[in-house]
Amino acid sequence: MTESTPVLGSRRIAASATLPGSPAEPDLPEMTVTPSRTAPDPLGRARLARRSLFAGGAVLGTAALAGCSSSSGTTLFFHETKSEAFPFFTQAIADFNAQADGITVVHNKTGSLSAAFVRSSPPDVGCLNYNLEMARFMERGALIDLADMEETKRIRPDVQDLVDEYPGFEDRVSVIPYSIMAASTIYNRTLFQEHGLEVPTTWDELLAVCEAFRSAGVTPFYATLADPWTVAQGWFDYAVGGMVDVAEFFRAMNEAGPDVTPDSEVSFSAVMREPVEKMMQLLEYINPDAASRGYGDGNTAMAGGAGAMYLQGPWAFGEIDKVGVPTDMGTFPLPMTENPDDRKVRVNTDLALWIPEASGHHEESKALVRYLMQPDVQHPYNKEQLGFSTTTDAPPAEDPRIAEMQTYYDEGRFYQGPSKFIPLMIPAENYFQAIATGADIGATLAQLDNDWARLAFRQ
Amino acid sequence: MTTNANASSSQAAIAAAASSEAPARRRRRRVGTDRTNWPATILLLLGALTILAPLYVTVAMSLKTTAQAVDGTAFTLPNPINLASFAEAWEMIDFTRGFLISTAVTIVTVAGTIILAAWASYAIVRNWDRRFFRWSFFYLLAAMFIPFPVVALPQVRLTGILGLDNPVGVAILHIMFQLSFSILLFTAFLRSLPEELEESARLDGATTWQVFWKLVFPLLAPMSATVAIFAFLASWNDFMMPSLITADPRDQTLPVLQSIFQNQFQNNYNVAFASYLMAMAPAIIVYLFTQRWVLSGVTQGAIK
Repeated sequence: MTESTPVLGSRRIAASATLPGSPAEPDLPEMTVTPSRTAPDPLGRARLARRSLFAGGAVLGTAALAGCSSSSGTTLFFHETKSEAFPFFTQAIADFNAQADGITVVHNKTGSLSAAFVRSSPPDVGCLNYNLEMARFMERGALIDLADMEETKRIRPDVQDLVDEYPGFEDRVSVIPYSIMAASTIYNRTLFQEHGLEVPTTWDELLAVCEAFRSAGVTPFYATLADPWTVAQGWFDYAVGGMVDVAEFFRAMNEAGPDVTPDSEVSFSAVMREPVEKMMQLLEYINPDAASRGYGDGNTAMAGGAGAMYLQGPWAFGEIDKVGVPTDMGTFPLPMTENPDDRKVRVNTDLALWIPEASGHHEESKALVRYLMQPDVQHPYNKEQLGFSTTTDAPPAEDPRIAEMQTYYDEGRFYQGPSKFIPLMIPAENYFQAIATGADIGATLAQLDNDWARLAFRQ
Repeated sequence: MTTNANASSSQAAIAAAASSEAPARRRRRRVGTDRTNWPATILLLLGALTILAPLYVTVAMSLKTTAQAVDGTAFTLPNPINLASFAEAWEMIDFTRGFLISTAVTIVTVAGTIILAAWASYAIVRNWDRRFFRWSFFYLLAAMFIPFPVVALPQVRLTGILGLDNPVGVAILHIMFQLSFSILLFTAFLRSLPEELEESARLDGATTWQVFWKLVFPLLAPMSATVAIFAFLASWNDFMMPSLITADPRDQTLPVLQSIFQNQFQNNYNVAFASYLMAMAPAIIVYLFTQRWVLSGVTQGAIK
């Protein structure tokens, strides 16, 4: 591919320089003159400038194109766009390139994945957030079966169950989960200690903690309602996940499809009403300016001790650290019922590896996947990014900020974020934001049910 | 946007000059002691502020440390001044390569747009009495109403098939999309050129080709400058087309490379703004040197 592109490309440059045969001027055959024929004319500076522009453009263009053919052997494109992880993967790829014979991996940090698939030149290896949007590639069998790879046998069964909650293609193992992010309530240990409070394990204890903070003049929850995704990820998902069997709910919802109405037994209106009402109860305890605060503001505020609890995932720790203030923080699952055993953490497959059918280098791509799945590559990655490794041999998380979630992860007490089961075509995040900022709960959930049914009907 | 602001502010300035001049002459005041036209001045200051405030934030942010950049106060002065962001941005997106590719794409776009649009406009204007040329003019103008996103997917597929999924394809598409507006500008301007000039050249034995290059094209220079500016801005700043068309990530243009800084999950303001500043610099420099022609070109296009 890379060998042939420059040739074609440079031919195109020449073509663009002598384009007058374009439909714009069909009757001007005498104008289809190559620049060299016009050269003998004693012409003014304008034309000279024009010619040097052309020359300059052509030289630059070919120079740029020549650059891609400099590497020999197979060139693999590795699509990974999580910017926090760039330094890690840049290093990992450099290491791989140094030891792999005849394979050069290029890290693709930008560019459109859909366009690449449309063009039938998708990346050779993808390392992306695994969510419902990935389903469109899996459902259509656009990703190769990885079942024959040893690495798939090391994946924890309950993690594999998470992956299988989204639709796939036949019995294929389309993706290998790489990193799990476990998210729960982030709390400021220092503030809890100062006020002599314990981490709550039941709903009533949670309300008591909120009251205690409020009467002490501390904002119990710092909320960032201006960013819809933070409402969905934290407030909605934690509240629902703490009370509802998320996977089972969406299995039933997908089965009902177009038949879902607000009055159905299984519907957002019926099942989500109570969690959302409890969410509204907790939203009484937030900072007064929450409606105008975004994710970035929240991280800065939490670093400054402006709130005791923060409904965000471990990805926020890196941002909180940027402020440069030492903090002592931990995590606990939001208790939504009176039974401490109901507490679960929200997980999502932050990164999963896959290889498209349309890639011409399946074996080389598998070599890269194998390399990335090595314990001494995967586990350091998850340690650095505060994620959990997906394999049975993964060491426990040591970082004090996420260590409290290890037992939940080990015992399989987790759920995939409910907001992530809703197709992006339904603006669910905005609905949840509307509820959080005062919209009618019943009407908004009914809207969600109707959207769900309509979308299911259309598909 | 900017042109509008400039045009309206220059109108305001003209109006202000006119209104303050007349009474001044009547009262025989000396030059320079005129009363200030406060409403116009305030409007102009506000207009300037919409440019200067973001520009100040860009410069200030790029000089801050990460801790200062995320502290939620955009307008504070950087203290201490930190130049490391520029180096980091340079490293992170392979700035040299991206800059060269952006430059190449832009140069090809500007040159191609000027040449093709000038040729097409000349042919159309001088053959206006023939139906084919009139209709091809309308056909070309119709393209103005087709935004790129509408035809994005077929374009992605076509460029892929033709082996144009690289900066060359981006440049060609930039030219195509720039063509209709440029032809509109050129034809309007060409109609104002007296045909007698060309007739006298013909009498001296010049061919169509010579008439165009020796006479018409030099006369088109002011409008060419305008067309060049529009083509430059469109090409240099374009994000969507290169991001969809270019297959090899190493051949991406600067705006696409810089998109890694725009992420709802991460704040990297200081590095991002350092990078934006470096990418903005050519556009600002080009504008500084060509603004005379831009403004004159805009008014010339407007009158005729």
